[in-house]
Amino acid sequence: MHIPDGFLPPHICLAGYGITGGVSWYCLRQINRDRHVQANIPKASLLTAAFFVASLIHIPVPPTSIHLILNGMMGAVLGYYAFPAILIGLFFQAVMFQHGGMSTLGVNAIILGSPSIAAYHLFRQRDRFRSNQQLFTKILAFGAGAGSLLLSAGMFAVLLITNISPDIDVNTERTAILLSLGSYGIQAAIEGVFTLMLISFLEKVKPELLKS
Amino acid sequence: MNRCYFFLSLLFLAALPETAFAHGASIQYRETSAIAITANYDDGKPMANAQVVIYAPSDRATPWLKGTTDEGGNFTFVPDSDPKNVGNWDIKVRQAGHGDITSIPVTGGKLVADVSETNSSSVGSDYTTAQKVVMAATGIWGFVGTALFFSRSKSAK
Repeated sequence: MHIPDGFLPPHICLAGYGITGGVSWYCLRQINRDRHVQANIPKASLLTAAFFVASLIHIPVPPTSIHLILNGMMGAVLGYYAFPAILIGLFFQAVMFQHGGMSTLGVNAIILGSPSIAAYHLFRQRDRFRSNQQLFTKILAFGAGAGSLLLSAGMFAVLLITNISPDIDVNTERTAILLSLGSYGIQAAIEGVFTLMLISFLEKVKPELLKS
Repeated sequence: MNRCYFFLSLLFLAALPETAFAHGASIQYRETSAIAITANYDDGKPMANAQVVIYAPSDRATPWLKGTTDEGGNFTFVPDSDPKNVGNWDIKVRQAGHGDITSIPVTGGKLVADVSETNSSSVGSDYTTAQKVVMAATGIWGFVGTALFFSRSKSAK
């Protein structure tokens, strides 16, 4: 789901950088208000490592294979730290493994980072449930993991479909993008289950990590 | 009068499209040097039926050739030997928002001499698995080191 260099027109890439700058500023301001920055940065750093390396691990889903994105999980666990963490992870993925590109770094940060903030706000709703909180935590963890991935896939598809170069067959490319949404649906379910398992594990062994 | 009809008939026949009379066919062949590309996803799977667009050095805004890869992700084209097309030919392969763009140096319709027979189109795809593992490990260690730095006890500062 990383858009490579040369696939989007320059004005979209610039707009991506502009919006990423604004969202990063907002997230850093929220982080600055956090009373436990010193305690939360190591958590964010370790999950950035997980995000960075997840793109190298391919999971076969016939007829293709997928790699985990984990943006929903990062949002649920890290909150506002997730966006800068994803931005840093994307930068290293682009520089070291050419996943994505430097011109599309801003756009990719919006596609993968902003759904993680949505996942954080969704997962926070568990505090509203006093009874049956464990069950709701699991449901919301799955929703954060799967929903975030689906949101990213939707943004990815809309951006690409509205910016298909006239040099290629637009209908063929549009059909291929829409078909790929099917495999993203499977990936969303996998990420939802993964997030659910991780949150359940953390809640049992170190619940303070999930406190926002 | 008959002569007039004869010339009118000849004129009519001459005005008909040439292909209507192409009962025969001929095949010519010659040896040429083609450039073969193979497009794969980063997990090694071929980009089957992906769209290929080729831009010649003389006009990078207009596609010189369009095509589709086969089931194995292969595509072959013959660059022209026009002197104005000496330089880097840009090859774009794309499928469902994934793909790559690469430049192939060509002179006189052939790859330039210092380019080896098999080249990787993307900088990242020529790393071996071992190299990727080492790079990933160094990246992870950087993040873990950052985590350790910020989680150090206050007495250690």
